[in-house]
Amino acid sequence: MAQNPTTGIPEGSPSGTRGDPARALAADSTTTVPARDPLSRVAIRQIALLAIASTVGFVLLMAGLSWATNLTSSSTATLDAIDVETGTVTLSLTQEPPQLDSTRLTDSVSGRILGHVMEGLLRYDVNNQLAPGVAERWDIRADGATFWLREEARWSDGEPVTAHDFVFAWQTALDPATASQYAFIFYVLKNGEAINTGELPRESLGVTAVSDRVLEVEFEQPVAYFDKLVAFQTYYPIREDFYLSREGRYAADADDMLYNGPFEITVWVHGAHVRLEKNPDYWDRDGISLNVIDFPYITADGNAVLNLYRDGQIAEVNGLGAESLDQVLAERWPVGRYSDGSVWFFQLNHRSDHPTGNYNLRKALQLVNDPGELVYKVIKIPSNTPGESIFPTWLKGEKGLFRQEYPAPTVTPNVTLAREHLEQAKRELGVDEIPPLVLLADDTPGASKQAEYYQNSLMQKLGLEIRIDKQIFKQRLAKVEAGEFDVALYGWGPAFDDPLTFADLFASWNPNNHGEYANAELDAQVRIAQQSTDQATRMAAFGRIQEILFEDVAIIPNYERGQMYIQDPRIRGVARRAVGADPDYTRAYIVTD
Amino acid sequence: MSTAAFKFGPGDFEQVATERRTQTLSRPSVSYWQDAWRRLKDNRRALISLWIVIALALFTLAGPLLWRVDPAAQDLDQVSQPPGLPQVAVIVEPYVPWAGIMATPVPGTAETLAAATPEGLRLVEPATTQAVRLAWDPVPGASGYRLYRNIFDPEPDGAVGLPVAEILDPGQVSFEDRLDLEPARYWYSVFARDEFGAEAGDYATVTVDATRVVSAAEAETLGWIGAAAAVALGDEIVLPYHPLGTDYLGRDMLSRLMYGARVSLFIGVVAPLLFVVVGIVYGSAAGFIGGRVDQLLMRFADFVVALPFLLFMILFKIAFGIGPGESGIFPMLVALVLLAWPATARLVRGQVLQIREEGYIGASQLLGAKTTYLVLRHMIPNTMGVILVTLTFAVPTVIFTEAFLSFIGMGVAPPTPSWGSMSNEGLRTMLTHPHELIFPAIFISVTVLAFNLLGDGLRDALDVRMRGRE
Repeated sequence: MAQNPTTGIPEGSPSGTRGDPARALAADSTTTVPARDPLSRVAIRQIALLAIASTVGFVLLMAGLSWATNLTSSSTATLDAIDVETGTVTLSLTQEPPQLDSTRLTDSVSGRILGHVMEGLLRYDVNNQLAPGVAERWDIRADGATFWLREEARWSDGEPVTAHDFVFAWQTALDPATASQYAFIFYVLKNGEAINTGELPRESLGVTAVSDRVLEVEFEQPVAYFDKLVAFQTYYPIREDFYLSREGRYAADADDMLYNGPFEITVWVHGAHVRLEKNPDYWDRDGISLNVIDFPYITADGNAVLNLYRDGQIAEVNGLGAESLDQVLAERWPVGRYSDGSVWFFQLNHRSDHPTGNYNLRKALQLVNDPGELVYKVIKIPSNTPGESIFPTWLKGEKGLFRQEYPAPTVTPNVTLAREHLEQAKRELGVDEIPPLVLLADDTPGASKQAEYYQNSLMQKLGLEIRIDKQIFKQRLAKVEAGEFDVALYGWGPAFDDPLTFADLFASWNPNNHGEYANAELDAQVRIAQQSTDQATRMAAFGRIQEILFEDVAIIPNYERGQMYIQDPRIRGVARRAVGADPDYTRAYIVTD
Repeated sequence: MSTAAFKFGPGDFEQVATERRTQTLSRPSVSYWQDAWRRLKDNRRALISLWIVIALALFTLAGPLLWRVDPAAQDLDQVSQPPGLPQVAVIVEPYVPWAGIMATPVPGTAETLAAATPEGLRLVEPATTQAVRLAWDPVPGASGYRLYRNIFDPEPDGAVGLPVAEILDPGQVSFEDRLDLEPARYWYSVFARDEFGAEAGDYATVTVDATRVVSAAEAETLGWIGAAAAVALGDEIVLPYHPLGTDYLGRDMLSRLMYGARVSLFIGVVAPLLFVVVGIVYGSAAGFIGGRVDQLLMRFADFVVALPFLLFMILFKIAFGIGPGESGIFPMLVALVLLAWPATARLVRGQVLQIREEGYIGASQLLGAKTTYLVLRHMIPNTMGVILVTLTFAVPTVIFTEAFLSFIGMGVAPPTPSWGSMSNEGLRTMLTHPHELIFPAIFISVTVLAFNLLGDGLRDALDVRMRGRE
């Protein structure tokens, strides 16, 4: 019989030679003692002895381990966040700097690092005023500008910083092959836009090195704020021979960069450690007090950072979360706040294949949005203020503050009206139900909380289903750029201290206009604001842009962000600002009393 | 001789006497399962665990029928409430924005400013959770004011707390606080700012006791009362009760735990059932057929063991086109079933190989038993103990896997709760609101422990060699 299993077994069946799990299982179960016996006195005594012995053993083990840890770590790690002798300050970063190539950089963490190791023609000082950087003096005219570079400015390999380095960097940023997100910031230069679109060669850019120490700039149109522009990181210099010698690896590692700022990167272990040391070739080296700024911790975990601060491992905590505030109060630490200048809003996808391309749907979203509730009850960080406009309240206008001269149109939440718009939107889109909207958000606890708040609030008020797409920062940026979202929780920080940095964000040609919003009138107003030198005309244009963005529901403002921070009281001279590297430790010093 | 010719008659037969019993059973016959159940009942730990498992099933299946609270509903007025008694709120007028109080700035010198203390800091109207409105007298020479709020007394060391406002207009001598107000005591401190924005002079402090209020219209929208007209100003209403408190968005913890258990227990029961079945079929086939087929099948099982679970879970998530914000439970189930069966398969194969050699199998074959009969009558019933034990031990493992995956964000999508995702959310507020982490963590621990102890008890009960040892 072929089916007979016994005939199928070869000689020396494996069953006898293999470990049999079932048998092993049964074997150890025989040792189980039934739990019914009452505990005898002897047993109790034994248990008590064992408990004492194990406790003592555990304590001894822990003491031994802690002793052993100290043995190994005392040589490598500093035990204090501030080392007065070596002039070292230890800090933490929320994430690995994604991009240190100044022509491509877009995020604030990279901006902070680069602001310490590089210097543009001009820079911001401790009081957030423009100060001379590589340029000794400058002259800005209606048709152009001249910068005289200082003789002592040096790269970290000892070579002088020349006007050619600026020409090369600016041309590279505009080169279509670089695909810089910030290329548009050079459009004010002659032929800037044409070079970026590929119509003209990069050499035709209106910037020339008259000599090694004189930089001549030609404008496309008058630029009232050019001195503020050249302090921005995309305007930093890059040396051509070094850039080309790296063959596309420029700024990929600490060795693949040349520094001309007060510090240089000496250690860059990706994802783990960044260490800045004082640049001995920096022209104003005597004005720099710190020797080392160390970032041995890269974590976005608020609790971990707070514990590091409490243990004296780091000297500051930036961006305290709402959940840490009670703890900070209980510790009685002094808390500071400042506006980081950024505005956060719903970036809406205006492409026609997304439901948010429909005006009435956007209007419905606008009518149920309550930034006050978001700021006071969900985010709960005192330094934030409810958002009403793309233009934050701190921007300067013609005489006073812009928002006082041109108040933002406000919306009164109205659920009934919103539902009417929603019905209208359904009719126009030809659907019975709006398909689930994808809400793109960072995977940070704060952003998740906001996303979940909107998910519930929009379901409750409008019956809209929201799918939350949580992504890490880099991936969220990539998805926003690819247009893979309906609504994105999006923030925009200022590049320079002028309303234009926010106003041209939704111009149809701006690569940061990720929702592809297009409005001819807005484009025209942006052109006016760019080309005019008359502040009254420019502010009127900004005022009109603010109205258009509101009327057309191009965006829905959520909040203006501020940061709460705690900082070791022994450190002074740290600049925290809306525009530029933030927080800036370049001119910080340690007080020893 | 023909047999047909011979005829039997009744007289040819005689009745055989009834046989006398040689053996009697003094006790009722006990089957294998009855015996196992009897011994399981004697194991107190296992029995308690069994009751816990039953209670959990009731909690998640019948619980939501009794406790009809939407686990996704957010009660932003009761955020991160610890477990406690129901809260009451007083009905007030709806919130109206406040223009504030303006005063003519008083000129002064830097010296007078440096010595000045803001005077007359007072509450403009009774403090409520809607708003706290403060005003003070202008300080000569101030360029603005800075306000701090603390939940502790700033004295004696001047810990004034959180900077809640930065007033840049020297004419504005009032402030309205709406930030996350709770019915508690607050200490507000005000500093005058000098022209550089630094704090000048001393500060003044006022103590404020805020009471919980709600407007009738709000209460109606939130569903706290039937109709706004039914209550009058000054009435006290009882807020929705959250016996286990609320989470960071004011969602009911009890209800979230009930719904969270659904996900955890669903995947915890279904996934082991499926992969144990796969393991039984695969393992018994390998053990029964034996030889080269067995070798081949078991090497394939070894290969599957080596596959990384997390990677496959991510791959399946992409392969099934699970978009953003959609639940990852289905790919998790598939990944578990496809990758977790080899353990069961090995166990069953070993068992089958052993049974195949037993004498009763040979006897059965000699009596002409077919393969199907052998498998169904002898093999599977005899491996049942091992299989059941595997199953009960697989359940806690899978529950834990689900909790872990949801914890790292690979599992459920918000707003669906799961114990793992709830633990992850609770972790942020571990130090200030520990209940948000402790409850889901306790549920995970108790469930895993109960299933483990039950599995332990089952193993003892189903093991034949344990019989008669008590």
